[in-house]
Amino acid sequence: MKTIGIVGAGTMGAGIAHVAAISGCRVFLHDISDEVLTKALERIETELQKGVEKTKITAEQASGARSNIQPTSTFNDFSNCEVVIEAALEDLEIKRDIFRELETACTPETIFASNTSSLSITAIAASIKSTARVVGLHFFNPPHLMKLVEVIRGNETSEHTMQRSAELVSQFGKTPVVVKDTPGFIVNRIARPFYGEALRLLGEGVASVEEIDRIVRLEGGFKMGPFELMDLIGIDVNFAVTRSMYEQTFGEPRYRPHLIQQTMVNAGMLGRKTKRGFYDYSQ
Amino acid sequence: MAQSRQTIFLMGDPSLVLELGEICHQAGFAILYKPASGKDSAPFPKHFKKVNTIPRTVFVLCELSLDRELKKKNLLFIDKAAGASAVILSSSITVTASEQASWIRRPSRLVGISTMPTLLSQKLIELAPTIHTDKAVMARVQEFFARLGKELAIVQDRIGMVMPRILCMLINEAFFALTEHIASPQDIDLAMKLGTNYPRGPIEWADQIGIHSVVTILEAIHDDLDEDRYRIAPLLKQMALGAQWWGT
Ligand SMILES: NC(=O)c1ccc[n+]([C@@H]2O[C@H](COP(=O)([O-])OP(=O)(O)OC[C@H]3O[C@@H](n4cnc5c(N)ncnc54)[C@H](O)[C@@H]3O)[C@@H](O)[C@H]2O)c1
Repeated sequence: MKTIGIVGAGTMGAGIAHVAAISGCRVFLHDISDEVLTKALERIETELQKGVEKTKITAEQASGARSNIQPTSTFNDFSNCEVVIEAALEDLEIKRDIFRELETACTPETIFASNTSSLSITAIAASIKSTARVVGLHFFNPPHLMKLVEVIRGNETSEHTMQRSAELVSQFGKTPVVVKDTPGFIVNRIARPFYGEALRLLGEGVASVEEIDRIVRLEGGFKMGPFELMDLIGIDVNFAVTRSMYEQTFGEPRYRPHLIQQTMVNAGMLGRKTKRGFYDYSQ
Repeated sequence: MAQSRQTIFLMGDPSLVLELGEICHQAGFAILYKPASGKDSAPFPKHFKKVNTIPRTVFVLCELSLDRELKKKNLLFIDKAAGASAVILSSSITVTASEQASWIRRPSRLVGISTMPTLLSQKLIELAPTIHTDKAVMARVQEFFARLGKELAIVQDRIGMVMPRILCMLINEAFFALTEHIASPQDIDLAMKLGTNYPRGPIEWADQIGIHSVVTILEAIHDDLDEDRYRIAPLLKQMALGAQWWGT
């Protein structure tokens, strides 16, 4: 695929634009804010230079990628796109409005992908007529480094859409995995007990934060323990994901959030970004 | 006899006896083991010496089964046969060390350990002393694991301990996802390794641990905490009974 549209130039949109441009696609990068677009281009530039310094990409690849990205504040050029990837705010109504606009701006063949991490693809697709072309493409942060993309099949997604989407992911140099549209998809769902049981163990007084992390690293062989990982992700973000899974499954007890998380969020102890979470980062 | 401190006696789950026995062998210990219920299920290497009684001079004895009835039988045997000053290390994932200590004549010499299949060769092992455990016994246990080059984490004596509980619950969630056909087993494993850096995929990990052991641990946790949160994925239970899964 040669021409891609991206809606939303924040953390994820800019990262996905970077990945698409390197893979040789022409990229129309859209955002409602010009300021965000300028910042996104700056960030992509910084990452491209880093890539060249670390000899991950050549100078030619970097300049090719640079000229492949065209920022825009309208959907005018989106009629040329084979795929549009939406990475705007995580809000069902905003995403539905965007998809409605895209349906008018694009050709009937264009595939519409959403990068949502917690909303239902089926629910987003229901806002437009041609639901068979709507798919989830869940990238991980930062998109240019993380190898995985979950390709999410909504209730109405066609086989053709699934195949083309998986091909695009491979073209980006990433690994696609196919998953049904269910809360948390694969990764966010199966990772729940990693945090949830660690919090229960802490709450039950079985071991301390430091000990649980040390055990998970040295006995389990994981790169990071659950508490240091929650501090990195953001305790508020982790709590929101757990809560959303719990609510979407009508109170499945395996996803029940823990009081410890809520107390820390209420106290403003969100992890590394506030310098205090399960550990102290103020020094 | 000076020899005695160089010898370790093992009994219980054959794959764990093999896994821990190898580590002890590498550290220079002589290995004695008593095969499970008369017959050798796993072919043990030559340096594992099969015995029917425990020489009274052996200092460290390990019981490595997850099944409660078997564990009780083995511990009663060990307690009777072992010399008075010997220490007993027993897997305490499915039965607390405190309960196990209550089965034997001298509860002060028993310490619980986390013997999670596939994790015994890792750097760290969890220890669960009981309220009865003697200080001198703990010192001896620490000395023993130092010789194996292991780091220790002392945890409260609870069913599931720390790593076995987290790991088995990850596996349980993956099997719920499989039961619901949300993705293929290969894609689930790949996603967890690439998307969140797990050292192994949960499904392949379950195979390596042994589905039966995973279910035994989850059953013990479910019985103990008695909450719906710990109910076991139907597919996992059925596979533990020897069923073949055909997949999507
Ligand atoms: N950050 C992550 O780790 C991560 C990972 C995977 C998926 N996601 C998902 O990706 C999406 C974007 O997340 P993010 O972290 O990049 O957020 P972000 O806040 O960094 O970026 C969102 C961007 O969308 C723009 N925007 C808002 N409304 C718009 C509209 N109507 N049209 C066009 N642009 C609009 C905003 O100006 C902003 O720049 C969300 O759905 C999120 O759930 C995020």
